[in-house]
Amino acid sequence: MRFLRPTVVLAALLFPTSWVSAQNATRTNGLFLTESLAGLRGKALDVAAHVVDENGKPRMAATLLSADGYFLTKASETPAFDKSALLLSDGTRGAIREIWRDKTRDIVLGHAAGLGTQRPLQMKPKADIGHATWLCALHGDKSEIRVGVASANRRQIPGMGAALGIRMDPVAERQKSRNGVRIAGVATDSPAEAAGLQKNDILLEIEGEPVKQFENVREIVSRRLPGDELVVRFRRDGHDNQVSVRLASRTKILANWDGEDYANGGVSLRTDGFPDIIQHDLPLNPGDMGGPLLDLEGNLVAINIARVDRVTTFALPLETFWKEVRAKIVADRKSPSAN
Amino acid sequence: MTMRSYFMRGGVCEKETGRSKAGADGNSTHHSTADHPRALRIDRRPKGRYDSITSMVPDSFILRRSLAAMFAALAVLPLTPTSLSAREELREPTEAEVIADLLGVQSAVQSQFARVRKAVVALQTGNGTASGVVISPDGLIMTAAHVAEEPGRKIFVVLDSGEKVTARTLGLDVATDAALVRFTGSRKDWPHVKLADSPSVANAGDWCFALGHPGGFEKDRGVVVRVGKIVKRTANTLHTDCVLMGGDSGGPLFDLKGRIIGIHSLIWEGRDQNVHVSLAPFLRSWDPMLASQVIRTWAQGNGAYLGVATRMSDNVELEIINVLATSPAEAAGLLVGDVVVAIDGTLITDQPQFSDTIRNHQAGDEVEVTVKRGGKQKPLLLNVTLGSRIEQEVLK
Repeated sequence: MRFLRPTVVLAALLFPTSWVSAQNATRTNGLFLTESLAGLRGKALDVAAHVVDENGKPRMAATLLSADGYFLTKASETPAFDKSALLLSDGTRGAIREIWRDKTRDIVLGHAAGLGTQRPLQMKPKADIGHATWLCALHGDKSEIRVGVASANRRQIPGMGAALGIRMDPVAERQKSRNGVRIAGVATDSPAEAAGLQKNDILLEIEGEPVKQFENVREIVSRRLPGDELVVRFRRDGHDNQVSVRLASRTKILANWDGEDYANGGVSLRTDGFPDIIQHDLPLNPGDMGGPLLDLEGNLVAINIARVDRVTTFALPLETFWKEVRAKIVADRKSPSAN
Repeated sequence: MTMRSYFMRGGVCEKETGRSKAGADGNSTHHSTADHPRALRIDRRPKGRYDSITSMVPDSFILRRSLAAMFAALAVLPLTPTSLSAREELREPTEAEVIADLLGVQSAVQSQFARVRKAVVALQTGNGTASGVVISPDGLIMTAAHVAEEPGRKIFVVLDSGEKVTARTLGLDVATDAALVRFTGSRKDWPHVKLADSPSVANAGDWCFALGHPGGFEKDRGVVVRVGKIVKRTANTLHTDCVLMGGDSGGPLFDLKGRIIGIHSLIWEGRDQNVHVSLAPFLRSWDPMLASQVIRTWAQGNGAYLGVATRMSDNVELEIINVLATSPAEAAGLLVGDVVVAIDGTLITDQPQFSDTIRNHQAGDEVEVTVKRGGKQKPLLLNVTLGSRIEQEVLK
């Protein structure tokens, strides 16, 4: 039986060879590429972190802006800072506090205490990022590196408002309840659904303001931005309840009432209303937002801010906020709250 | 997920190859989103159910890693000449090599982009928004058949500048999703781009870039570029990891020389499952399409050929809507209006399965086709000797 041995070995060798190398050679983000970019990934890890919740679960990517623990993340989807911590790629973790929230750009500046082991940051505030310029970012809890290109004109994305993700029926509302607004339908994967609101619930108050007709609800929501949290009082089966609802972009809900996953991995709560963005085609998920976007030299050039659809991610170029954010950092270092 | 769809049989792969094979079969089919619930035409926002399978991605990633590790361990064993070449193939490039390759791709795409974008247009058909690409100075446009839908339709074309002009659909190949459109008017200096010489210039592993108007034309955003690799080539399609979505349909896929190698057709769930019509159907059907004809069937490969065009009827039955002259189907007495129930006793439930069943036979095989005719419940058994088809069939 000795002569059979080489055959067995050969078979074992050849099978994965054709399989694995085919996978690698025919994918932009195949292993040949991602495994090879260890140096670039290292530079990305130097500026990358995750906001973790009270259970230690990574909730949102973040970008380190200084060696002494200042970081930015996406404001509208980050959990409350007092119950969260910042986890660096080297495993160190620090309690965080909020310094500045910029609703226009949907970013929040924070500081993580007791850190400072990261290497000096490599930044390029004025990067030239034309169409088809390669960019890279980290994806997922394991921080895998992904590459993609700048894919469209740099531009402003007008805000189309926020929404709860409910349908209201004015006629039924008038017939059934004089004291509130009946929910006639809840959008799948919407803020209302996430908060536990259901069809036929009667909305009574939003942020302490009584709502008697659907125009009241619309008016209150129209004053808020995607990512804002609203306390909603409602009645179900004769009992009054209260929930907190985090609003999402109106366009995200209207374009996709049934919650179908057109982006293959979900889209961000807030997908519009940004003053100046670059668009790219990196395969990322909503939880990767707030994390760093780098050029191929490893320079931090932007912060990923919104996963929009299957082909679109928006990022805020560093130059559009760096001066302002740096000033906040400098001021905070001098303030008594800094430590 | 990606690996399952492309390297394993079953699941998504069955459906996916079912579609391609239906396209490559000698039996004509009419494709629509409804026929293939998991494939999405990308001329507008898809309405079909879209199964989420993203949770499988990390698994396959880990699997690939472990396979790579397994091979790395085995590769140091004493090797025969065969496995030496295998080892060479698997050598991981250095980081500098990878980055140099990426920057080479970047400069190639950037050197073509400003020129080719002027030839990429958005098409507004009334049913939705899609894309197309101008390929001649007198205004011939390539797009997808499910965008054009039928010859002689008036549609609106939005140019790169935002200017809106009119065009008319010419012929189309509904079996492969290829179509031609022409600007109305007499302008002879349209910005245009060239086609690659042959479908065979595009190969798995090659870099490429896609342009289009996902979601429709947006002036501020402009045309959207995606850079990726060719994942595989089939008889009539290219699959790439240039991500596409609704509105991209009909837009061009370019090689790094800025030549058209494909037209965006449909997507599957995976981010690397973007399907483009290759040049093969266009080159094969060019003259009939220019003559505003509709091509419903063609021959490809060694699979057997029956010679019918089918559709899924309102009762969700496979109905024969055309029997080609001198075909095996005509010789066996199949008629327009017959409903195909079974082949060799196996129930036929959809078009891809029907095409696959026929195509899995050799020319010369005899099969028993069970049909229902004239609304009668009693099925009819017909013996058909399958043939092979070389030339395409063109129907007015």
